[in-house]
Amino acid sequence: MTAYIVRRLLILPVILIGVSLLLFAMLQVLGPVERSALYVRDIPHTEGAIQAIIRRYGLDEPFFVQYWHWMVGREDPETGEIVGGILRGDLGFSRTGREPVIDLLKRRLPPTLELALWSMIPIVGIGIWLGIQAALNHNKPIDQAARVFAILGYSFPTFVFGLLVLLVFYARLDWFQPGRLSTQFSQEILKPGFTQYTKLVTIDALLNLRFDIFLDALRHLVLPVITLSYLSWALLLKVTRSSMLEALRQDYVLTARAKGLSERVVINRHVLKNALIPVATIAGSTVASLLNGVVITETIFDYPGLGSAAAAAALSLDVLTMLGYALFTAVLFVVVNLIVDVMYAVLDPRVRLE
Amino acid sequence: MSHLLEVKNLVTRFYTEDGIVHAVNGISYTLDEGESMAIVGESGSGKSVSVLSVMGLIPSPPGKVEAGEVILNGRDLLKLSPEEMRHIRGKEIAMVFQDPMTSLNPVLTIGRQMTEGIELHLGLSKEEASQRAAEMLSLVGIPNAEDRLNDYPHQFSGGQRQRIGIAMALSCNPTILIADEPTTALDVTIQAQIIDLVKKLKEQLGMAIIWITHDLGVVAGLVEKVAVMYAGFIVEMGSVHDVYKDTSHPYTLGLLESIPKIDSKEKRRLIPIPGLPPDLLKEPTQCPFAPRCRYAIDKCWEENPPLVAIAPNHTAACWRAEEIHEGLRIDLPAGEPA
Ligand SMILES: Nc1ncnc2c1ncn2[C@@H]1O[C@H](COP(=O)(O)OP(=O)(O)O)[C@@H](O)[C@H]1O
Ligand SMILES: [Mg+2]
Repeated sequence: MTAYIVRRLLILPVILIGVSLLLFAMLQVLGPVERSALYVRDIPHTEGAIQAIIRRYGLDEPFFVQYWHWMVGREDPETGEIVGGILRGDLGFSRTGREPVIDLLKRRLPPTLELALWSMIPIVGIGIWLGIQAALNHNKPIDQAARVFAILGYSFPTFVFGLLVLLVFYARLDWFQPGRLSTQFSQEILKPGFTQYTKLVTIDALLNLRFDIFLDALRHLVLPVITLSYLSWALLLKVTRSSMLEALRQDYVLTARAKGLSERVVINRHVLKNALIPVATIAGSTVASLLNGVVITETIFDYPGLGSAAAAAALSLDVLTMLGYALFTAVLFVVVNLIVDVMYAVLDPRVRLE
Repeated sequence: MSHLLEVKNLVTRFYTEDGIVHAVNGISYTLDEGESMAIVGESGSGKSVSVLSVMGLIPSPPGKVEAGEVILNGRDLLKLSPEEMRHIRGKEIAMVFQDPMTSLNPVLTIGRQMTEGIELHLGLSKEEASQRAAEMLSLVGIPNAEDRLNDYPHQFSGGQRQRIGIAMALSCNPTILIADEPTTALDVTIQAQIIDLVKKLKEQLGMAIIWITHDLGVVAGLVEKVAVMYAGFIVEMGSVHDVYKDTSHPYTLGLLESIPKIDSKEKRRLIPIPGLPPDLLKEPTQCPFAPRCRYAIDKCWEENPPLVAIAPNHTAACWRAEEIHEGLRIDLPAGEPA
C-alpha cells in the first residue's frame, strides 16, 4: 500500500513535466515575433524594438533552451535582472486582469473554490445518495424519477441550463442575484472589522459571526451551484446507480444474506464498498467537468472566479492568462487523479498488490 | 420419529416480463439429523430455487414462494418474520455456493467475512471470533490459518476459496449444510479433494447435508439419498442404490448414461439426453419429460404422473415406472463405442 503510494508520488513530477512541455509546445505554434507581442503592452513601432524583446526573452533560441528558461526564468542580458520562470511564479502579465497572472489566479481562486465546494453538496448528496436509493428501489418511483433527472442533466448543455435557470429565478422570480455578494456587503468584507481568514465568503462570514453576510453569499451561490453541479451529479447518479445494481447482483451478496446478516449490514458492508469503487474512479472526471463548468457558469452568473477570468482572457486573446489557467487546471487535474488512484487502492485490495 | 427438516409441497414461481416461470412445482422431501442427500438434475431444473426457498432467499420481486411448508424442528420457516429467519440462516442452515471466485467479497478480508457471522450467531467477541475463524480455516486445511485471516479472497486459489466457503458455512455449527454445486467450478482433482473434505467434516461434526449437483457421478460416495429434479418436480427419489441400480425414471436413466465412466473398460461416449430442456413458462399439465422421453406413451402427453412409491422409500413420477423398475430398457439409438 505505502509502496504503491510512493510509486505514484514518484511519477507525479514526470507527469507534471510532460504537461508543462505540452503546454509550452502549444505556445510554440506562434512564431517568435507573435510571441514577443505577448510581453509588451503597446505595439512596438520599429523593427529593432521587436528584435530587442525577442532577444530579451530569448524567443529565438532552441526549443529546449526556451523551455528551460520558461520554467526557471532567464537573466535579462541588459539589466541582469531575472525575468520569467513559471517555477518562480512568474507567469507573465495579464492584459485582461491588469495584474501579474499569478496574482490574478491567486485572487480568483477562492471564489471558484467556494463555488466548487458548495457544489460538492448536491454532487455527493444528490448524485451518490440518490444513485444508491434508486438502485435499492430498483424500478420503483424513486428509481424512475432519478433516471429522468439523470437523463435531463445529461442532455442539457451547461450554458442552456444556466441561462434557463437565470431566466426563471433571476429575471422572472427575482429570487437570487448574480455576482458573489450584494454591493453593500462586498464593501463590508473589505473593512477592518471583517477578517478574511479563508477568503471563502461563506466560511469567513460564519467565522466572523455575520450570518447576514453568510445568507447573502449563499443566495448568490444557489444558482451557480445548481448549474455547475447538475451535469456532474447526473453523471455520478448514473454511475452510482448502475454500479450499485451491479454489486447487488453479485454472488457475494447472496453469501452475505445466507449468513443471516441484516439487510443494513449487507448493504453497508458488502454492497457499498464494492459499488463505490467505480464511483471513486469517475471523481477525477467530475473534477474535470467542474473545471469546464466554471468557465461557463461563472460567466453566466457574473461570478468573479477563475472561470470568468479565463473566459474574459479567451475572448480578448490574452494568451498568458489562458496559459496560466491551463497550467493551473492541468496541475490540479494531475493531483486529483493521484488522489483518486490512492483512493482506489484504499478501496480495492486487488489494486494494492497488482 | 420426526424429521429434522420436512419440505412439503413447496411451490416457487417467478413473475417475469416473459410470463410466470414455474421454477419449483410442489416438491416434498425430508432430511433427518446427520443424514445427507443429493439433489441432482440438469441446470435450470429448479435445484437452486428449491433450496433458496428453504433459506428464505428468493429475490422478491420477481420470485415468490407460493405454497408449501418448510418445517425445521417443528417450526414452519415460511411463516417466520424476516427477522426470525435471519437467526435460522447461517446458524441452523448454512450454505456454500457454486462459484468460489465470486461468492466471497473481494474487498473484505477473509477474517472479516468469517467473523461477522460468528459474532452474530455465537455472540463471541472480536478476538474470540477471530480465533474461531482460524480454527475453522485449519479444520478445512488452510495452512497458517491465523496469518491468512488478514488476506483477501484473490490471494487464495479456487480450491482454497471453496474450502474457506465451507469453513465459513460451518463456523456456527449449523445442523444443515446446503451446498449448491460447490465443485462445479473447480477442476476434477480439486473436486475430489473438496468432496473428501466434506465427507471428513461430516463425520467430525455430524451435520446433515443437502448437496446439489448436476452430476450424479460425483455424489455416490457422499450421500445416502438422492432426489432427481426435472422441470421443478422431483421425478425420482430413493437411496443411492435404488436410484443408481433400480432406476425407475427415464430421466434418471438418461442422467446415468450421460456420466462418462472413467473406470469401466468399455469406454462409452458421453451421451447427452436428446431434446431441449423444458419450457418453465408453461403450466405443467403433461409429463414435462415426455418430449424427450423414449418411453413416452399417449398417457404421458395427457396427464402429469404423480410421484408414487415403487418400492419402500423409493418413489418415481412416471407412468411406466413399474416397467422400468422391473428392467424394461429401450436401447439407445446409435450409442456407438468411441
Ligand atoms: N431471479 C429469477 N428470476 C426469474 N427466473 C429465475 C430466477 N432465478 C431462477 N429463475 C428460473 O428458475 C428456474 C430454475 O432455476 P435454478 O433453480 O437456478 O436451476 P438449477 O437447477 O440450475 O439450480 C430457471 O428456469 C431459472 O431461469
Ligand atoms: Mg443452480
